[in-house]
Amino acid sequence: MLRQPSNAPQNNLWLYAFAACFVWSFTSHALGQSTPIVFPNEVSLTGPESSQQFVVNQRLENGRTSDLTRVVEYSVSDTAIATVNSHGMLVPLQEGETQLLIRHGQWSQQIPIKIQGIESPTPVDFRGDIQPILTKAACNSGGCHGKAEGQNGFKLSVFAFDDTFDHDSITRHGRGRRINIAAPESSLLIRKATGLIPHGGGRKVSVNGLWYKQLTRWIKEGAAFDSESSQRTTRLDVYPKLMEVKPDSGLQLQVFAVDENGNRRCVTREAEFFSNAEAVARPDEDGWVHVDNVPGEAAILVRYRGQIETARIRLPQEFEVTPPKSNNEIDDHVWTRLSSLGIQPSHVADDAVFLRRVYLDTIGTLPTIEESRRFLTDPSADKRSTLIATLLERPEYADYWAMKWADILRVDREIIKSPGTIAMTRWLRSQLAANRPYDEFVSDIVTAQGNTNSESAAAMYLVHNDPEKLARSVSQVFLGVRIECAQCHQHPFERWGQEDYFAFAGFFSGVKNKKLPAAGTKIYDDAGADLKHPRTGESVPFAGLGSPAVQPPDSESPLQVSRRQALSEWIKDKDNPFLAPMIVNRLWAHYFGRGLVDPVDDIRETNPASNEPLMEYLTGYLKSNQFDLKKLTALMLNSTTYQLSSITNDSNIQDGQNFSHASWRSLPAEVLLDAISQVTGVPEDFNGWPSGYRAIEIWDNRMPNYFFRVFGKPQRVSVCECERGSEPSIAQALHLMNAPESIAKIRHRQGTARLLANSQSTDDEIIESLYLACFSRFPNADEMQLMRTAFSDPGVERKEAVEDIVWALLNSREFVFNH
Amino acid sequence: MLHIPFGKLSSNCSKVSRRDALTVGATGLFGGLSLPGLLNMQANAATEKSAKAKSCIFIMLEGGPSHIDMWDLKPDAPDEIRGPFHPISTNVPGTQIGNIMPYCSKIADKYTIMRSHSHGDNAHQTGRHWVMTGYAPNFPDGQAKGIPFNEIYPSLGSIISKELGHRGAVPPYIEVPEPLGPGGPGYFGAQYAPFTIETDPVEPTFEVRDLNIAKGVNSGRFERRKRLLQGADLLGAGGKSDGKAATMQTYYEKALELVTSPQAKKAFKIQDEKEAVRERYGMTSIGQCSLLARRLVEAGSRFIGISHGSWDTHVDNFTGHEKALVPPTDQAFSALIEDLEQRGMLDETLVVMMGEMGRTPRINKDAGRDHWSACQAVIFAGGGTKPGTVIGASDKTASYPTTTPYGIQDLLHTILSLMGVNPGKVYETPLGRPVPLVNGGSMISELIA
Repeated sequence: MLRQPSNAPQNNLWLYAFAACFVWSFTSHALGQSTPIVFPNEVSLTGPESSQQFVVNQRLENGRTSDLTRVVEYSVSDTAIATVNSHGMLVPLQEGETQLLIRHGQWSQQIPIKIQGIESPTPVDFRGDIQPILTKAACNSGGCHGKAEGQNGFKLSVFAFDDTFDHDSITRHGRGRRINIAAPESSLLIRKATGLIPHGGGRKVSVNGLWYKQLTRWIKEGAAFDSESSQRTTRLDVYPKLMEVKPDSGLQLQVFAVDENGNRRCVTREAEFFSNAEAVARPDEDGWVHVDNVPGEAAILVRYRGQIETARIRLPQEFEVTPPKSNNEIDDHVWTRLSSLGIQPSHVADDAVFLRRVYLDTIGTLPTIEESRRFLTDPSADKRSTLIATLLERPEYADYWAMKWADILRVDREIIKSPGTIAMTRWLRSQLAANRPYDEFVSDIVTAQGNTNSESAAAMYLVHNDPEKLARSVSQVFLGVRIECAQCHQHPFERWGQEDYFAFAGFFSGVKNKKLPAAGTKIYDDAGADLKHPRTGESVPFAGLGSPAVQPPDSESPLQVSRRQALSEWIKDKDNPFLAPMIVNRLWAHYFGRGLVDPVDDIRETNPASNEPLMEYLTGYLKSNQFDLKKLTALMLNSTTYQLSSITNDSNIQDGQNFSHASWRSLPAEVLLDAISQVTGVPEDFNGWPSGYRAIEIWDNRMPNYFFRVFGKPQRVSVCECERGSEPSIAQALHLMNAPESIAKIRHRQGTARLLANSQSTDDEIIESLYLACFSRFPNADEMQLMRTAFSDPGVERKEAVEDIVWALLNSREFVFNH
Repeated sequence: MLHIPFGKLSSNCSKVSRRDALTVGATGLFGGLSLPGLLNMQANAATEKSAKAKSCIFIMLEGGPSHIDMWDLKPDAPDEIRGPFHPISTNVPGTQIGNIMPYCSKIADKYTIMRSHSHGDNAHQTGRHWVMTGYAPNFPDGQAKGIPFNEIYPSLGSIISKELGHRGAVPPYIEVPEPLGPGGPGYFGAQYAPFTIETDPVEPTFEVRDLNIAKGVNSGRFERRKRLLQGADLLGAGGKSDGKAATMQTYYEKALELVTSPQAKKAFKIQDEKEAVRERYGMTSIGQCSLLARRLVEAGSRFIGISHGSWDTHVDNFTGHEKALVPPTDQAFSALIEDLEQRGMLDETLVVMMGEMGRTPRINKDAGRDHWSACQAVIFAGGGTKPGTVIGASDKTASYPTTTPYGIQDLLHTILSLMGVNPGKVYETPLGRPVPLVNGGSMISELIA
């Protein structure tokens, strides 16, 4: 390992991942913190298309780092041997040795450069050299030639997962016209890629650039698949691994591919870069990461030849943070994070804001006027935690969460018919009401059997009705793994391949169904058979993700339990790394508006949680509390973090991922409709349903309803929570303003407005009641004054005035959103 | 999503419009965008400007019109195929259409008949999904098998709405008089959903949902309501809202504009149209929808989807076509084309009329015709298409094209291109899979003027 400078602070953020090959030339010089550091300090390049990206950094007084890569001046002493650009990218010209001189003000450093392998270069090989070009130029991307059917007759495997196929496609398919060994420059491949002849994808390779040279040399040498000397890349080294930067700056990443023998070469030019938080840090194709002024941390994912590595960029602010009182360990973790980023959390929300928020989030229901009044005037110190405990026992908690689970599990009346839909919705509701331990809940779902019209999760197997669909849905919903990417190719940002996909799908190969004579369908299991790998045709023994086969291929003994029981055991294993984080994240996203990992069901090493210690803590908490979801929920809701205001301050206004303030969230269609019904005192009349049902109780996902449609109630065609629309639209605004249904509710003879208008209440009392009904709070003096004008306009009837106030409040942002 | 939220442009595979070039310039979000790529875009940015069609009226004859009885008659075919109708000459020498379409026969110089449209989906819902989105409803994601609505892929109208945006106070994408099944916004999200007029403009009491201030609320009272609302927002928590709530505020402003703008109100007020004009279109659903569509194009709408049914004539196909279905369609379509032309709007307005399928050449036992997607007729007018021609041909029983069949992707590719939208533009689905707006297909060059 490299030594760190001796004057580095203890919590040094420089994690030098480099091993062995290079030796840092720090040795004794204590040149102070301002000495630029060049990496690497010695370069040996082999081959005409090799390159070296330099990185020049400078430590600052405050422990942060400034990147000087694009500030310093570079020159090569023998310009015949190598050339360097102002971004610190060095490329060879001819064999020999020279020096790179790097200069910054008074400071300078010389780096020895050695160039070899130019005169008789190692042949270019397809796998190691050409595939990375095709990948970075996006030739094989899913939108272009990587599509299942290719593009204009030319097909490549997406993300280059199938080298043999791609080599054949270029060198043999299309009657071999894509390459011309005798005249490489006139190859169709080259002429298309350079845009010399019309190419739908435009110019991807510039004539005489490095890619051009490498492609033409490869063709000229015979377009070989593999060269004897080529080595597989076994891992990547990315530098820096973690760096704190200042606002409106940038930094250079440097990527080395390491092969089986430990040889390293710079592949910064060939690697691809992606950010999981574009607002914080955005990499470009050269590995230069742009940083604006949004504080936070971004993981920059680096990909090259199927290998993935991440680098983290952190942008803290200069701000002395004084967090509010911590209520539990969630707050400790959040405050630690915010303090390190210099983000001051918002103040704690007042009782009214908390009240409305916690009702809407927990039971999908607004507090009534009486409930609000009681809570707001309750002097007891622990009233918030008491309320949380009460809400979790309300029947609407089960209704609301059953609806949510029915969405995710796709309880679709169109497919499973009304009896099955009702049965499964009831089952979900009873599990949630009883607070069934989550691991058992999941186990029941993945092993559900019997009549699809009975109260169980069996009906789900009519929707997800083959092993592969089940594998995709189960892995996404319960494990947070989008294994479906691996159906056709290596998961682009994960270790999962087709092998893992078919192994996992093998858990479901025994699921069978049989129509029952009376009604419904019976779901049962037989022994099942391992699925075949589509490319090799060989059976893939069934296995959990990242786990060995349940039954080793050479095992003689028959499986003692069904395949799905084996899955249930694998899922419930206390060491299963997927189950707990996924549900923690789902709950967190529900209550905080964004998951610790985002998107909510895309959990992977390369998409880290925005607060990893917190994620670890919550995962551990859930496991050590027997997967008690209500307990976990109560922990979240009792945290000060949950109870923060949505009003931002200068330091947290830009923060969107560290939970320094509450966010404005759209109400789900059903919740908003129920809220309007409750405030107006007129229940919604659902087409064909007995009156009195609330929208969150409606199990029929296919019931035609304009309100549901414009406000984005999911149709249950996807297991992704993202199916629920949350984006505002003009049709929503129009509907809230003018919908005849809402207007009728406001005016209804037995409605709230009419009752209040006809009552003995004073104008002020009416205004107060309506504020309590809509916003769960008392109006302030200004609001009172404004609303009184509704009554005092010349010639206005009291009934009209009340209706107008109701209309205005129902259309206000404070009503339409949860904040 | 890894780098770019879904629904946003992720990368480009072919040409990109001027709008995208601007997006790139403004945000620099592109990981893999090279300078040549950008130059390429700028070079292509001219296409949108040069696009002729500014709006599209899409008439969907739901259920599947009988191509062999309307646009592609086979007088020499045997009885069990031919049917009772006979071809008549049009004002274009050599072009003949069914005798049940006298109006259209007089203006055949203004539209083009494509007789070689073909696809393989013989069901209504799924076929309609094909036509409206260009994607098979059995999604490769395996997410929606058997579900015919397009919660995943955006429909033609939503694409045009997103790519071209507003051109006036009226919404860019409007459906009338009912939702086109798969006409939704898919992964583009609700803001690109159609504004559906769920009442029929032929009704004497026609008015547009949610567009009118509640009865009994006069302008003075509406002003009071607005004042109270603005005050409630300003004084309450809404005054400090951001994110989605702030977006909603801009939609409220748009919505208020729509409710109060005389231009928008006028567009929807079909009752203001001269009686003679209304009569010329026909006092029928398709007639008045077509007339409303013209008014909406004038007011700046980009895509108006007219749904007209029901053409699913399994029983008594001929009476159905002759009496109920074809006459109003013949009258409405011809009136629309003539009217657009007289107003100088035809060049900028692309009109497409088609169903999700054709009908079986062989007549069934109930004197009906069944589902037939292998050969269909599609009618185009205006918007830069070449008028007065017939493109493609079918065999002697109108069963299969004898010329290169044009698939739905060719149609969508051409429609989008005519409107200046790059059909190859790539978006990411919610699962991060990049998909182009139209998956393949090519420009139908013989259709272009």
